[in-house]
Amino acid sequence: MKQSMIINGKAHEITVDGDMPLLWFLRDNLEFTGTKFGCGSGLCGACTVHVDGQAIRSCITPVSTLVDKKITTIEGLSEKGDHPLQKAWLNNNVPQCGYCQAGQIMNAASLLAVNAAPTEAEIDTAMQGNICRCGTYQRIKKAIVEAADTLSKEV
Amino acid sequence: MTISNVSRRNFLKTAGLATGGLVISVALPMNALAEKGIIKDSGDELNAFIHLAENGDTIIYCGRCEMGQGISTALPSAVADEMEADWQRVTVKQGDADEKYGPQATGGSASIRVMYQPMREAGATAKAMLIAAAAKVWKTSAENCFAQAHFVINKTNQQKLAYGELASIAANMPVPEKPVLKKKSDFNYIGKELPRHDQAAVVVGKRIYGVDTKLPGLKYAAMIHCPVLGGALKSLDKTEALKMKGVIDVIEIPRFNIPFGSIGGVAVVADNSWTAQQAVKKLIIAWDLGENAIYDTKEYKQQLVKNVEKPATLAAERGDIEQAFGAAKHKMSATYTGGHLSHAPMEPNASVVWVQKDSCEVWASTQSPADIQKVLGQYLKREPKDIVVHVAMAGGAFGRKFKCDYVHEAAVLSEKTGVPIQLTWTREEDMRTGYYHSINAQHIEASMDEQGNVTGWLHRAAFPSISTLFDPSLVRTPANSLEDITNHLFGIENCRVESGDAKAHTRIGWYRAVYAIFYGFAFSTFADELAYKAGKDPLSFVNQLFDNNKNKEQQANVKRAKDILAIAADKSGWGNRKSLPKGQAIGLAVHYSFQSFVAMAVHVEVNGDDIKVLNVDCAIDCGQVLNLDGATAQMEGAVVMGMSLALSTEITFREGAVVNSNFHDYPVMRITDMPNVRVHIPDSDESPTGLGEPGVAPFAPALSNAVFAASGKRYRDLPFKPMSV
Ligand code: FES
Ligand code: FES
Repeated sequence: MKQSMIINGKAHEITVDGDMPLLWFLRDNLEFTGTKFGCGSGLCGACTVHVDGQAIRSCITPVSTLVDKKITTIEGLSEKGDHPLQKAWLNNNVPQCGYCQAGQIMNAASLLAVNAAPTEAEIDTAMQGNICRCGTYQRIKKAIVEAADTLSKEV
Repeated sequence: MTISNVSRRNFLKTAGLATGGLVISVALPMNALAEKGIIKDSGDELNAFIHLAENGDTIIYCGRCEMGQGISTALPSAVADEMEADWQRVTVKQGDADEKYGPQATGGSASIRVMYQPMREAGATAKAMLIAAAAKVWKTSAENCFAQAHFVINKTNQQKLAYGELASIAANMPVPEKPVLKKKSDFNYIGKELPRHDQAAVVVGKRIYGVDTKLPGLKYAAMIHCPVLGGALKSLDKTEALKMKGVIDVIEIPRFNIPFGSIGGVAVVADNSWTAQQAVKKLIIAWDLGENAIYDTKEYKQQLVKNVEKPATLAAERGDIEQAFGAAKHKMSATYTGGHLSHAPMEPNASVVWVQKDSCEVWASTQSPADIQKVLGQYLKREPKDIVVHVAMAGGAFGRKFKCDYVHEAAVLSEKTGVPIQLTWTREEDMRTGYYHSINAQHIEASMDEQGNVTGWLHRAAFPSISTLFDPSLVRTPANSLEDITNHLFGIENCRVESGDAKAHTRIGWYRAVYAIFYGFAFSTFADELAYKAGKDPLSFVNQLFDNNKNKEQQANVKRAKDILAIAADKSGWGNRKSLPKGQAIGLAVHYSFQSFVAMAVHVEVNGDDIKVLNVDCAIDCGQVLNLDGATAQMEGAVVMGMSLALSTEITFREGAVVNSNFHDYPVMRITDMPNVRVHIPDSDESPTGLGEPGVAPFAPALSNAVFAASGKRYRDLPFKPMSV
């Protein structure tokens, strides 16, 4: 029986060993390179994607656990790159090297999905697994607050 | 079709560059130039700073490497400004390795300092030629025309010609001998908050980094390095690794004993990175560790302290410190230390190399493409210019990607397998196979007179220097690496600088801010200690130290340092600090490095051993700022990196090898610790200087001074709270 997972709305057959973490299936096999490798051990958040809407670290999530699951990567977060977080990121010029930012945005999106108006402490707690070595934390916080604001006005 | 002209001669003259590397091709008609043999006809890839197409689309090339510091926005925006180009019509492209871009090695916060003027001139040249072209069409004088937002406009009748329409005519206009640059008041982009050109791609995951390169037939590699510098492979059993499905080969990479060559190790080539990484774990390896296996940083640091707490080798001297110390009212001494640091950019070392019989092509995140050409040329016995290097966006670098050992390794693997290879280091390898910031110790003794004037200053430093990378036989830091001590802007009449023994047992390399990290720490912390000793307010004490500088050549810099410190202090509420709640305090520091001045006021809350940084007021004087938002971002980032190294990050060696392995035992700063950072940039007409590095230096001393003011506890060792690993 062929097994597959849905990535950004499209079914992809799992053609690799079940042990392989999703990160490498995405990057090396499917060439979705937006999801980044930072530590390989769940310590930095660079590889964050959504599984059924929830943020997970793809570097430590074997593909065998994701059969028929819905995966969203940064490439699929919004159709036109206009998710409120993406807009807020641009508005605040968040990225420096940008390498960590896909993970930051995906993690923040998962936060806002369950908590539309997070406090600063809640943002800290939710985002503390995502390292930015360039040091863009101040802008990340600001952008999350701004995106939450936009979302609250949409409802 | 493109417009043309090469003004190499002219440009060299105006830019005064000694490298002979800059070619401004204000758009070249490639056919004509190819005929003349000036360039190779290479299709649309015009080797130039400006490429103006007939539809007006403009490509501006950035020759310096981008790693997040924003240079690929800053420099092209200076071109666009002078050219009167509409930024919306401009695409920025990263230039491949090529002399025509001038020096590409990106470090020392030098890009803006070195390239600002030439880039402006490149833009101004293009504008002059476009105006000349329009004047020709209208049969009027150039003086009767002006340029604005991608058009040339006729002053008499307000007629307009679009840049695109003028492109090919402009190509045949003479290159102005000395293009006229704009007045500051006329800048459109310089000094403004220009968004970076690549942000939109970043937020949708489309920005391509070195590690993202894909090629048909690409194979993936992972490797393990010899854990000790100078060691070698003793035995290798690859049976189990080779049995794994998807493994193609196991290849030994011997040490290439040049500064930027591989330290040596074993690599696995496979169908994907994951398989390669798993197979590396199955290798059974025995290493011959060599003489550096004795290296233990805990012991070594203690030895460095001993070496600076006794007389050492004289590096520089002025005045007579013996006499000063003899006549002293107060005397004081202190010793400061710091550990090795790993750059740990979020993108680990990675590159793609394809070595073929008559070609070698490289895609890499790098800070120094010319070094890749040199090292690979040397390894492959080919001409450096025959190594094609595509400079990819680096996911952070901080000095690490100046050294191309990881590219050299990919080249070895591609040469041996005949296929394009992507080598990605794991985080563990990245942390354990570095070019580390120097472990260091400094000892300062000072004398003061009754009024709290510093009369004598003895400064001993011991650290394995970057020079050891090029000359491993060095037993101590050469005097020229200690000049930043001798030339410090504090006014110290009697000064003696000594170099303590410090042999290197690992590779030492430039790390963001380099020696300014520990010089800044020692100078600004010790000045604060002296202020308390003299019973003076730390700010007035430091100002007095500056005022005592009677060296005429340093007066302008002294004033700038004082002024910038005053801003940081003022913005932080320094004057009212006595009214802060108990446990809170402000500490100050100012440091001049890389020709920029940065002052920080750090506001902390201390509770027992717990240090919480609340606010950081950061004031910078880097002359005329190119991109205000970019400069601000650099300072925010510098605070974060300064905070990591002040509080927690340190690389530990035991038995010659690095003990740390990943972010759990190399705890870089996270969002939870982020203070409120306010950046203050006064307007300046001085020529612009860089900002990538200088912001890192003043943070740690300002923090030490703040914590002391809040709690009476003095931290003299970086990091303040090392993790035991
Ligand atoms: S790469 Fe997955 S958490 Fe770091
Ligand atoms: S922007 Fe560079 S690591 Fe976050």
